[in-house]
Amino acid sequence: MYLEQLHLQNFRNYQDQFVVFGAPKTILVGANAQGKSNLLEAVELLSTLRSHRTSRDRDLVLDGAPTAQITAQLRRDSGSVDLRLALQISGRRTAMVHSEAVKRQLDFLGYLNAVQFSSLDLDLVRGGPGERRTWLDGVLIQLEPLYAHLLQQYQQVLKQRNAFLKRQRSLNNPNLDPAQLVLWNQQLATLGARVIQRRHRMLNRLEPLAQTWHQAISGQTEHLSLEYEPNVRHDLTQPEQLFPEFLAQMQTKAIAEYHQATSLVGPHRDEVNLTINQTPARQYGSQGQQRTLVLALKLAELQLIEEVIGEPPLLLLDDVLAELDLNRQNQLLDAIQDRFQTLITTTHLGAFDAKWLQSAEVFAVESGYLSAVALNPSLG
Amino acid sequence: MSTVYTRPLARLVEQLQKLPGVGPKTAQRLALHILKRPESEVQALAHALLDAKQQVGQCSICFHLAAEPTCEICRAPNRDEATLCVVADSRDVIALEKTREYRGKYHVLGGLISPMDGIGPDQLTLQALIRRASQPAIQEIILAINPSIEGETTTLYIGQLLKPFTRVTRIAFGLPMGGDLEYADEVTLARALEGRRELD
Repeated sequence: MYLEQLHLQNFRNYQDQFVVFGAPKTILVGANAQGKSNLLEAVELLSTLRSHRTSRDRDLVLDGAPTAQITAQLRRDSGSVDLRLALQISGRRTAMVHSEAVKRQLDFLGYLNAVQFSSLDLDLVRGGPGERRTWLDGVLIQLEPLYAHLLQQYQQVLKQRNAFLKRQRSLNNPNLDPAQLVLWNQQLATLGARVIQRRHRMLNRLEPLAQTWHQAISGQTEHLSLEYEPNVRHDLTQPEQLFPEFLAQMQTKAIAEYHQATSLVGPHRDEVNLTINQTPARQYGSQGQQRTLVLALKLAELQLIEEVIGEPPLLLLDDVLAELDLNRQNQLLDAIQDRFQTLITTTHLGAFDAKWLQSAEVFAVESGYLSAVALNPSLG
Repeated sequence: MSTVYTRPLARLVEQLQKLPGVGPKTAQRLALHILKRPESEVQALAHALLDAKQQVGQCSICFHLAAEPTCEICRAPNRDEATLCVVADSRDVIALEKTREYRGKYHVLGGLISPMDGIGPDQLTLQALIRRASQPAIQEIILAINPSIEGETTTLYIGQLLKPFTRVTRIAFGLPMGGDLEYADEVTLARALEGRRELD
């Protein structure tokens, strides 16, 4: 797929910026805080309706403006798609496909697929389990838009069940309406089991791809594994047993849940163990090795999305390319060639291998304005 | 805002803006429209508002909106006494009545179970529902509640509560009529698959 045009209005620090993408690679160069990442964030929002930088739409709207608007024209194998997302300070959103508002956000997903790789992604290795769950869910939403609905339903049941447990706790009554608790348990287990199975299935498909990339980049010396560790311990080759097992483990933790007034069992506490040569990646190795791992995960993600949807997704490289050494830069370049449309942000062009600048278009970004830069071949 | 409108107009705009679905622009349009109408028409509107508020209450049997102690549906002699349709809200009664297909009576819960909003079974009209369900004349209770998380919990809760008394059913969820399978969204389609039935 190819993003042909992007129009940002009152989005972050952009007042009114229209961009036409004329080359498979677009490099946005500029000092910090000029709006490079904001542009990538706009594409991320069109892709997932989420931003990894904020959860409040207020942050996305230009100061003083009531609404922000992102409009895009996308070319897919099946034809051209017009996407529009309007964001309000109040948090209300309107998403439109071909100028028609979609009824549910779910209907907006799946048109634009993108893999984001930023320096923050090192938190995938170093951060807590929440970082890895967010990443897992983000990939799944792109592969299976229905998962967005499933996850939202699960989170709603979780909120309701937690509210119920808090009420029991505040009234000091563990026997308050047990019939209602049974129903919340059943809903949590039904939806939770589906979340677990989809996460499990996706990681199984992703792992061999990530292993291949990891060996290619690290020179065949290290063995990567992605081990899914669901909070509900269960043999996942027997899916029909998962639901009763989920309920049983909730039963075991019932007293603890009452005292802590929160749900202690379920995929909201899942973990993905990233290990290299059987050692947890967090403890293993240098920053360079951790970068290799994240790069391998991202390339696997790119490949899996392409396999599933049948078209190459966009790649968003946010301030990360300059951090890779030339070997890793070249691995990445070989992987994407000109097949994957790539948007790259950087503070300076100097760290790039010359090959990156071939088939690339360069824009300078300054205070929310883009201007085309004529490439000087000697820059490389 | 208050410097833009003269005081009484500002109050009107402010009141209108409290209505659901009415933003500042719509409120302004409505207010200016009201000012342009003849006084008699505005009086009629004001009276209609007050009369509705003062005269419309809840039916003592089914809790649907009613100007009398009981609603028109509960008083109607020709309706099927053996079937009750349980809904969350009076809006749902109106929607079902528009179909003109249902000839039984209703029971309005007044909400859905939602711990986050502090609504438990005790806040709904469940005691009255149990009393009605236990009458021997009742043969079927249909649960017509939205398939949301809260709706699902409420449906299952009521189902368990009423099973000892009578036959309990729930409405089906699936594809809209005249809709194309190909254009149905995945959630609806998945739900329709779940609720599939044997071909007679």
